[in-house]
Amino acid sequence: MVTVTIDGHEVQVAEGVNLVEAARAAGVEIPTYCYHPGLRVVGQCRVCFVEVEGMPRLVTACSTPVKDGMVVNTASDRVREARQAVLEFLLANHPLDCPVCDQAGECYLQDYSVEFGTDSTHMVDDRRRFPGRERNELGPHVIQNQNRCIHCTRCIRFTQEISETWDLTMKSRGNHAYIGTFDGEPLDNPWSACVADVCPVGALTVKEFRFRARVWHLDETPSVCPGCSVGCTIDIGHLEGIVHRFTPRENPEINGWWMCDFGRFLAEDLNGRDFEVPRLRGERGLQDTGWQEAMAALTELAEVGSPLRVVASANATNEALYLAKRLFLDRPGAEVVVPVHRGEEHRVKNAQRQWVAGADEHPNSTGARLMGFTTVDTEGLEAFLRGGRGPILILDGGAHPWLLSQEAARAVTGQKVAVAARKASPLTGAAYLVLPLASWIETEGTLTSSTGRVQLARRGLFPRGQAKPAWEILALAGRQLGVEVPTPLTPRTFFEAMAAEVPPFAAMTWRRLATEPGIPVLEEVAHVG
Amino acid sequence: MTAGGAMKPILLRARGEDKSRSISTYLRMGGYGALKKALIMDPAGVRKEVKDSGLRGRGGAGFPTGVKWGFVPQDLPKPKYLICNADESEPGTFKDRAIIHTDPHMLIEGIIISSYAIDAHVAYIYIRGEFWEEARILEKAIAEARRKGYLGTNILRTGFDLEIHVHRGAGAYICGEETALIESIEGKRGQPRLKPPFPAVVGVFGCPTVVNNVETLACVPHIIEHGAAWFAAIGRNERNSGPKLYGISGHVRRPGVYELPMGVTFRELIYEHAGGIREGHELKAFIPGGSSCPVLPADFVDIPADFDSVAEAGSMFGSGGLIVMDDSVDMVWALENLMTFYSHESCGQCTPCREGSDWALDILRRIRRGYGRPEDLETLERISRYASQGMTICPLGDAFCGPISSFLKHFRNEFEDYIAKAKPLPPRTTPVLPVRSGRGRFGI
Repeated sequence: MVTVTIDGHEVQVAEGVNLVEAARAAGVEIPTYCYHPGLRVVGQCRVCFVEVEGMPRLVTACSTPVKDGMVVNTASDRVREARQAVLEFLLANHPLDCPVCDQAGECYLQDYSVEFGTDSTHMVDDRRRFPGRERNELGPHVIQNQNRCIHCTRCIRFTQEISETWDLTMKSRGNHAYIGTFDGEPLDNPWSACVADVCPVGALTVKEFRFRARVWHLDETPSVCPGCSVGCTIDIGHLEGIVHRFTPRENPEINGWWMCDFGRFLAEDLNGRDFEVPRLRGERGLQDTGWQEAMAALTELAEVGSPLRVVASANATNEALYLAKRLFLDRPGAEVVVPVHRGEEHRVKNAQRQWVAGADEHPNSTGARLMGFTTVDTEGLEAFLRGGRGPILILDGGAHPWLLSQEAARAVTGQKVAVAARKASPLTGAAYLVLPLASWIETEGTLTSSTGRVQLARRGLFPRGQAKPAWEILALAGRQLGVEVPTPLTPRTFFEAMAAEVPPFAAMTWRRLATEPGIPVLEEVAHVG
Repeated sequence: MTAGGAMKPILLRARGEDKSRSISTYLRMGGYGALKKALIMDPAGVRKEVKDSGLRGRGGAGFPTGVKWGFVPQDLPKPKYLICNADESEPGTFKDRAIIHTDPHMLIEGIIISSYAIDAHVAYIYIRGEFWEEARILEKAIAEARRKGYLGTNILRTGFDLEIHVHRGAGAYICGEETALIESIEGKRGQPRLKPPFPAVVGVFGCPTVVNNVETLACVPHIIEHGAAWFAAIGRNERNSGPKLYGISGHVRRPGVYELPMGVTFRELIYEHAGGIREGHELKAFIPGGSSCPVLPADFVDIPADFDSVAEAGSMFGSGGLIVMDDSVDMVWALENLMTFYSHESCGQCTPCREGSDWALDILRRIRRGYGRPEDLETLERISRYASQGMTICPLGDAFCGPISSFLKHFRNEFEDYIAKAKPLPPRTTPVLPVRSGRGRFGI
């Protein structure tokens, strides 16, 4: 550790960190464009100038490592004027089309111009334009407007250092330099939309999100990506009950600053709901009913048949799985499986630039295994559903892609099936009881990633209609079935009960989860992956 | 020998000889004798000799060559490289070309001795793309030297090995900057690197590298042959010593490359050697050492042409490429002409240079078109202040800011004359916000 003084604040930082990070530790913000903690330092934008005592010239904070006893001034007149000059240079050719630019609101050119720039420019000449590159589809997910580009090369470095696909490059030279792909090849890699995240201005925007909402209107809910067992830390951006986007949130241990396109574009799947109230099969087919009737029917189902077959879900939170364990796994009279779909392998780089790979396409398969559930693949799931005549409870009708198929409906023909689901499928059509299930953003709870880190996903929206999250359905069912369920009925209660009872989760607290980017479980999880 | 006096040519001694480029001519004139002498010295001895001679880099910065060699870490288990910078792209500079044309073996001998001094076994000559003929001359000379045993393995049976590769650039001015040159040799886009680390520690392929100018390396054989004291005695003083090639261009009667001791005055250069200003005109201004050096008005003509004297006068000695302008020159036009070059050659990597060079050019063009505004001169000064002095990654920022500030300092009245006669500014042709295009959608 070394001690540096930044604007009068003395701060201890690790050796080798640069002045931008040291200043951040001291609570001082130094503006940066080309500098990104996850990418190589290039010192190109020249906006991070600071004054270091004993150095005759201003230095760029991004490329200057701390030295013990360094005294740094980030607010002197000299620094302020240099920053204003650089911002004026950057804005000299910027189109200033903020009113119609989708980056507005999360644009660092706006933010730093307000914070550190001046309110006028000496530029009266024609601004630079790149005809033909003003609305240019770089790839399936990213749209370029080169007029707005500030040539920070973060996007280029992302494709070189993180995705390692080398899709982007700087073309031409000098004032006419622009970002492009190689010879018409599209920017198409599994993490391509991250280049729009790292773009500090509106030059690169995500096609799926553009013009859907102004970002300052969005509510951002801290969550975890539901796409696979990597469990990237994300923010869910939503507005007036509609989910608009996922964006990665910094988590050095899991996803660094990145996430893959597969996970990112699951955002749209969170919208839409076919069931808002429970539906029970009567004389005239499935009919709307109330939760009391529905729970009574569910209890009847569970008590009549033996054994009750339960299909739990690797998409459910640790708390829901813990309740499922108490209700079904720990008591005789029920058989439980967790279907796991391997799918494609999804991976992402963490802050140490190591690849973190997902074992399967479920956000909590690791949690399910740690809880002691048996996992099955598609064949195992089909055999489980066909192997008996008793009633079936499916905790999530979307827990496995096969459950959405016609075969799944055929496999349960003639059996009484209760299924919790948000969207209609052949299976819900064949069900005896359909319970409206809350969506990912309507649920609060913890998830265990493939690297064994437990993270908290917050609820951003109340469930639409009368939908309920899985933990609540199970808690109500538990009461009906006479199983002791801790109170009050909140995810926090169940989490704390789980932490007390299930060894890998011991010593975890909800409070820590709310502030830390993932707590590792007390068990080597590599062997369960 | 005193400054200003005529001297027996050293670097251009073969000028006028028949077949001056061939190795037989070079050997007849005593060539490769210094190599034999150097290879029986130890490398540290060669380094000391060059350091004591006071030889300063002839590429423009004037950094002492022996000191630069001393920065190469001796204990690093990595190969070391020597690069000869033959990218000579600065407008007004054409001295390296004269050496290659006249006496390529002098350069090659210099490279071999210098490589021996820093323990390099591979040397590159990075030559600008437009010098295709010079590249061929060098290739031929390298082949000749190899046949005679001056290059390759076990040179002169001393156990020293060296290969020289001629690497042609693609014609970018910025590749004359040593780190951009290194990037270019590595096969990358020619863009200057962030320093530190400096090339002497992390250079080409991540290994210690020394980059020296053609003329600098051509001086080395003479220093070894005649000794440091002999070299230091040439020129004005020991800090500005040795023979110097002055490339004189512009409105003089006899433009060309002249070899003279360092420290001759600009008056001697212009009026004695280059034959004076053309008939009916007078000297107005001169750029002392290649177009990036700040311009000096005629009053400064009596200062000595060496590193320290020109620096004192507020300019740079640079490469010794003297550009002479007589009273017919419109200084606004001259600055616009220079800015056209620098804005075209900016690599576009860092903000002040990329944006500033083109912005300054736009302003100058507008002033010349008759739409200047009084505020424009302040804007130009502001650009020149904030795109130089360490605000940019490499010295290209200084290279275009020096001309701007010096032209405004010495010839501000000419800019003001343009502005006094100017018309009001026409409206912008680029709208600030996107306009609806033909197909009814906004271009966003």
